[in-house]
Amino acid sequence: MLKLIGCILLLLASTGIGLVFAARLAARPKQIRRLIGALAILETEIGYGSRNLSSACQNIGDRKLEQISDLFRLMSLRLTTMDGAATYDCLQLAVQDWWPTTAMKTSEKEVFLQFCKTLGNSDRHNQLTHLALVKQNLQVEEQKAREEQMQYEKMARTLGVLAGALLIILLY
Amino acid sequence: MDLKPIYQVLPLSLRNRIQSLPRTILSGLEEVRIRQERPLEVIAAGKTWFVSSNQQLKLDAKDSVLPTREECHKLLNLISNHSLYALEEELRLGYITVEGGHRIGLAGKVITEGGKVKHVRDITGFNIRIARQIKGAGTVILPSIIHQDEIKNLLIVSPPGCGKTTLLRDLVRIVSTGEGCRARKVGIVDERSEIAGCVLGVPQHDIGPRSDVLDACPKAEGMMMLIRSMSPEVLVVDEIGRKEDADAIHEAIYAGVHLFTTAHGSSIEEVRKRPILRELIEEGVFERIVLLSRKAGPGTIEAVYDGKCEPLRSKQCSN
Repeated sequence: MLKLIGCILLLLASTGIGLVFAARLAARPKQIRRLIGALAILETEIGYGSRNLSSACQNIGDRKLEQISDLFRLMSLRLTTMDGAATYDCLQLAVQDWWPTTAMKTSEKEVFLQFCKTLGNSDRHNQLTHLALVKQNLQVEEQKAREEQMQYEKMARTLGVLAGALLIILLY
Repeated sequence: MDLKPIYQVLPLSLRNRIQSLPRTILSGLEEVRIRQERPLEVIAAGKTWFVSSNQQLKLDAKDSVLPTREECHKLLNLISNHSLYALEEELRLGYITVEGGHRIGLAGKVITEGGKVKHVRDITGFNIRIARQIKGAGTVILPSIIHQDEIKNLLIVSPPGCGKTTLLRDLVRIVSTGEGCRARKVGIVDERSEIAGCVLGVPQHDIGPRSDVLDACPKAEGMMMLIRSMSPEVLVVDEIGRKEDADAIHEAIYAGVHLFTTAHGSSIEEVRKRPILRELIEEGVFERIVLLSRKAGPGTIEAVYDGKCEPLRSKQCSN
């Protein structure tokens, strides 16, 4: 009887793990999409509004863009409270703190950090060029993430169940 | 004097140094000059001091504080809010106005495009000029400008740093509030953001309730814009001297608008040698010319002349 309960728990647990993996795979392209959306807002804030970086980030942070708002709020906070430290250092700190809370991976993080290096330190035209570039690069990452999702989402789900079943067979 | 906006743009290390200066110095602070790897300089009450590393004020630059490259970087980040792109216009002109109307001048490597200044890069020199509004600075000359409820066209002449803009600003406040005269609509063309010291379009100095400001607007164009759009009774512009300015002034005064303006110069003879100003003076455009100096501190009124350059009264101090 006890063995049976154990088996069921094991099966539930491994199925759960499989589902979590699948959910992460599904969330990643969505989050990249939203990040691209937020960058489009930043583009108008910089290009048309000519607003300074911290208040532009604060504005985006105040919008309801789920997790993405948190990133921009953090960026704005770091920019205003670090005694004028280099812009990239402020932004990097915010990105490092925030990234683990998302389903996004290091490849898009690298793309974003690379963009952060250029943020704030050149004229408007140049900023807009960099913004267009990072959006393009993120779109590539999004496409990759989507392919990965198609390939592995279902697999992760079934693999969870099957791995549980395998363990049960082995241990029983 | 509220120095808080200044402290806000200074990195912590420099802020501590400035904040721990004696109170007498801080209350008379005029300029803080920060140059990368060169002595930190403060100018207070007309005197120049170097800040030494043990917070002493000295006349020679030996063992004084040398702001580091990093501190200068931080300073620029704080001044610009990490957003150089939002300061394109300011970088082209070489200065930034911060909260409180204070002005930070920048020096560094100038980048040109097609022979025109595009922006300043590698900024290593900062001149923080503390703006002071002295309310009441204009009261003494008011009787000579307003006669029987009629405003005279005014030209204020002085060398730099003698309180030209301060006097002009106070006259704006008086005329627009109506202190001892009828309150009038005032239009200010503030090309260098000095008179009203606008930040995000909001005047940082008290310029009275009936003033409208065109911030950072070229003078000649701005005067025409104001006449068309805001119907001012008094037009205020700083530092005239170009051909277009004269044309716009003609338009204004023959449209029944009165004019308060300033020009650089240390005597009336000097001003009369400048072609555009001479023309304007000879035409009798200005009904009053006020000459300022630093003899008894900034804002000393040397003399007041009428439109024919005859002195009305002379050698009278503002305080």
